[in-house]
Amino acid sequence: MALKFKGKAWIFGDNLDVDKDIIPFRKMNLGLITFDNLGDWCMTNVDPDFPRKVKKGDIMVVGKNMGCGHSHQQANKAIKQCGISCVIAESFDRNFFRNSIDIGLPIIEYPDIRKMVKEGDHLELDLHRGQIKNISTAKTLNFTPLPDFLLDILEAGDVESHVNKLIAEGKV
Amino acid sequence: MGKTIVEKILAKASGKKEVSPGEYVEVRIKTYIQVSSDGGGTPMPETFVKFGWDKLWDPSKVVIVPDHCGSYTPLSYDATNNNRENHRRNSEWARNMGVPEENILDLGRVGNCHHMGIEEGWALPGSVYVHADTHSMTVGGVGCFGPCVTASMAALLRTGLTWFRVPESIKFNITGKLQDGVMGRDVYEYILGQIGPAGAIYQVMEYTGPVMDEMSMDGRLSMCCLSIFTGAKLGIVNPDQKIIDWFKARTNVPFEPQVSDLDARYIKTYNYDGAKIEPQVVVPPLRHTVQNISAVEGIKVTNAFIGSCASGRDEDMRIAARILKGHKVHPGVMFNITPGSSAAMMRSAQEGVIATLLEAGCFICAPGCGMCPGYYTPLTKNEVCITSSTTNYPGRMGDETAQVYLGSPATVAASALEGKITDPRKYL
Repeated sequence: MALKFKGKAWIFGDNLDVDKDIIPFRKMNLGLITFDNLGDWCMTNVDPDFPRKVKKGDIMVVGKNMGCGHSHQQANKAIKQCGISCVIAESFDRNFFRNSIDIGLPIIEYPDIRKMVKEGDHLELDLHRGQIKNISTAKTLNFTPLPDFLLDILEAGDVESHVNKLIAEGKV
Repeated sequence: MGKTIVEKILAKASGKKEVSPGEYVEVRIKTYIQVSSDGGGTPMPETFVKFGWDKLWDPSKVVIVPDHCGSYTPLSYDATNNNRENHRRNSEWARNMGVPEENILDLGRVGNCHHMGIEEGWALPGSVYVHADTHSMTVGGVGCFGPCVTASMAALLRTGLTWFRVPESIKFNITGKLQDGVMGRDVYEYILGQIGPAGAIYQVMEYTGPVMDEMSMDGRLSMCCLSIFTGAKLGIVNPDQKIIDWFKARTNVPFEPQVSDLDARYIKTYNYDGAKIEPQVVVPPLRHTVQNISAVEGIKVTNAFIGSCASGRDEDMRIAARILKGHKVHPGVMFNITPGSSAAMMRSAQEGVIATLLEAGCFICAPGCGMCPGYYTPLTKNEVCITSSTTNYPGRMGDETAQVYLGSPATVAASALEGKITDPRKYL
């Protein structure tokens, strides 16, 4: 099945807050950021050029407590919209974790990831096999895959499409 | 091996004999589900159309509540995109989906959504309660499991089903007795200062001990509301008789309160002496720079705010009135007090609390989220605010140059009185 990604690593620190770091909350409140242009604002409080530098498929490699603060799914959508294929973090804020699954942003938890990956390294990910290949260093890291029902939601694209699959199969 | 309150609630809700941390469970939601009709989350009518859904799992359990913006006037007068129009559109959608008329609430009968769950008895001890908003965990204060399910909400309304990972629990044992003027809010911020913003990732913070036993429901709700800022899934307090009595007076729906077994397993236990906790202040721009009030006393403020899901309860308005009685708010300060709900506002009015606050020169706002998300009376350039609301990053409460200090409602009231950050204990 799918859920395999290839891209360049972008490294970020600990405790990235959804509203302070990932998307500027005030601009969202003022209507300057909508559900349609979230990607243009992704991480701009940390690196104003980030949305322009990212190439489709690139991978965010982040420290501890990724996506802390409020449960604003706009942050997850901003990351997905700007072209990031997957976020690997040393740990996730629980709400960010859940919203990522629901909106279909693939995520991997790997405790020492920033010791194993530098900015610009080329990575290949396989969420079903639980494998991170660092092509630049020729090292392979293994992790426990998410349970199948969460991988199913990611594969469907979002939780609503997953529900429609279940409805079609007569399961709900 | 005994079980924690959260493990017991999740076992019951998923129809299992017992559950353990790390396990995933499927839960059918049986409590009322609130849809905020004016916030910025998933737009329900559009989502249902997009995915071709024409029914709700159980319309009788859906409630429509305008809370985040409420009576706030929109920034633009665009007729298709303002809060009243959003409320109208959501209400019409709910009617078409078969939601009973009495479940579609409007201003005058509402307030902040998490206050509403407690006031109306939608979030019951021992039950699973869900909301799209971050601070649904507030209801942990009454022993209710209330994780937020932001992006799951549409699917949940359609199917009635959702999933949870059973979290590990950390026990926080608060011994001794709090000083007068030290509130539940201070206890939480003190813990944040000790364990840091990643101190309880994906875990439950279970607050116990003599300080919690003595603490009011309002204080417990405030602590649980804030538990997200230590990375927790939620905070929870084992319900006691006063909590059970509160709900018995409000609902005929049966509920089964749960409490942790004495031999339940915790991943960690922290012990703190409540008597040593001073009023705490969070200093901008980070949410986790926590200091004793003595370190920040004297910093000038231009705005003060009590309200949001983190405060605005009876106890919060009562202590503000106790501090302000016979005094006036400092002339350089705008002090916005937003009761959490119409019910709390009415009780405070009957007690004379609202009159004292008005006499002191406070601005009493319509029940709801108030200044917290920057809708009502937003902060303007370079203003400095002391607030007992949820958080403080630049732009949260208005202009991105404004600075937001966080403290207890007592600290906010004393600071509004002096026009600078002030230790409330000298007024009590």
